[in-house]
Amino acid sequence: MKQHQDITRDRELLLGLAKSDDKSLETIYSENFPAVLRMILQHNGSEDDAKDVFQEAIIILYEKACEGNFNLTSRLKTFLYSVCRHIWLKKVQSTYGLYAIPPEMEETIPAAEVVDEQSTKDEQFRIMESAMGSIGEPCKTILEDYYIQKKSMQEIAEKFGYTNAENAKNQKYKCLMRLKKLFFDQYNTSL
Amino acid sequence: MKDDMNLLREIERYLEGEMSGQEKAVFEELRKNNPQINRQVEEQQFFLQQLQHFGQRQSLQAKMDHIHRQLDMPTLRKQAQEENLAAKRVSIRRRTITNLAAAACIALVTSLSTIAVLQNAAKNKSTAQYEDVRRVLNNIQRSQNALINDINNKSKAPANPGTYGGTGFAVSGNGYIVTNYHVVAGADSVYVQNNKGEAFKAVSVFEDISSDLAVLRIADSMFKSQPLPYTLKPQNAKLGEEVFTMGFPRDEIVYGKGYISAKTGFNGDTTAYQVSIPVNPGNSGAPLLDNQGDVVGIVTGKQTTSDGIAFAVKSAHLKRLLDEMPKDKSMKKEMARKSHLEGLNRLDQIKKLEEFVYMVKVYN
Repeated sequence: MKQHQDITRDRELLLGLAKSDDKSLETIYSENFPAVLRMILQHNGSEDDAKDVFQEAIIILYEKACEGNFNLTSRLKTFLYSVCRHIWLKKVQSTYGLYAIPPEMEETIPAAEVVDEQSTKDEQFRIMESAMGSIGEPCKTILEDYYIQKKSMQEIAEKFGYTNAENAKNQKYKCLMRLKKLFFDQYNTSL
Repeated sequence: MKDDMNLLREIERYLEGEMSGQEKAVFEELRKNNPQINRQVEEQQFFLQQLQHFGQRQSLQAKMDHIHRQLDMPTLRKQAQEENLAAKRVSIRRRTITNLAAAACIALVTSLSTIAVLQNAAKNKSTAQYEDVRRVLNNIQRSQNALINDINNKSKAPANPGTYGGTGFAVSGNGYIVTNYHVVAGADSVYVQNNKGEAFKAVSVFEDISSDLAVLRIADSMFKSQPLPYTLKPQNAKLGEEVFTMGFPRDEIVYGKGYISAKTGFNGDTTAYQVSIPVNPGNSGAPLLDNQGDVVGIVTGKQTTSDGIAFAVKSAHLKRLLDEMPKDKSMKKEMARKSHLEGLNRLDQIKKLEEFVYMVKVYN
């Protein structure tokens, strides 16, 4: 009964996370980070490692939640813990080559699938990040404002001092084409 | 360049739903006929999705960084370290305890099994393999029988049936009987009873502990002397020679047949034979006779580890003992020169022998 209640609460938190509710994110973060920190420190990791690994796990959780078809079967804590463990295991293995896997790192939940699925998305994210990083200003900000922050062309024109929205729009298209080119060049070679 | 930009603008308008119905229909027609444009539309869709993801993820990352900065890292760090230390200590302690316990268990098992093995070996050597075949009498049943006998016969037989029983046989006509020492050891009084049921009081006149033999003399006026039909064979019996015995493993005389299976007795004892013959408690002191009806040995015990192996003191040894006996015991050396049983068939031999084999009852 208690476990059931816990899962119900966890599912609510997850719904909140999917809706980008800051409160849910904060709850999840502050409740689960200490356990992961402890685990990473125990396995020869640093605090920064713990932060990276944990945030990666949260991103996975977030994207799963956004897809909408994610069904939480275990407690959120268990899920995050095993995902973190798996990520850290992979990191340690790739860094030190043949590193003996501690027996207590053996999986309790099949987190491997989840983590492997994530690697494609991570790749896309990295390509987009580098593309964004290399187009320079003001393109970056214009595109971010329009496509991500969903600001209107009017606002953007005022912010960047364009005489009218149409000019800003033309600039935006130019930027978008450049970004697309940068993105797809890398995307197609990497796949 | 310009065319591309126009196309992009068109695509964006199409995707954002800014086109009017007619424009949309035209564009969809175009999309259907021109695969290149179609591909660009899909590309744009995919790209926008990617951009969306990128944005979401970036904002999430920013939020998380913000939260992370608000965490009380020093406290968390301290907690984690303490917990890890505690876990390590516990696991070390647990490991030590497990090892110690395992070592203790092994030590215990080793010492216990050593003790068990040693004790077993000691027992095997002294008692387990060798068993006297004197009989512990069944007190209650026998005492009832004896009581009835007492009332009916008013005989002089003691009411108490005795504690131990064995067998003995006459070595002289005037009432000297040989049995095993272990039968009469520690006895208060000894009675012998023949196959007719007549009991006589007897006293032990000579004991030889080393060869486990005792000589009894019947001290009873009722006893009538009669000549012996057999002799003590002075030579050793041959290996494989057929022998038979008569004894009292129960209240009735019991006949048993076997053969000499070795020329030495238990643990290489040269004064005894190993005999393959069925013996039971009560057979101690029974005579071992050969086909001619000469006494070749006295049954003394059997090996418990294997069935059908008994031991008997050699008659030559008995003869030597009798010769060494103090002369003042006035034992008549009137052993027959030649066995009267030779040439008789077994049934007749037994019939004659019965009278000279006694049940020895010991009271203490």
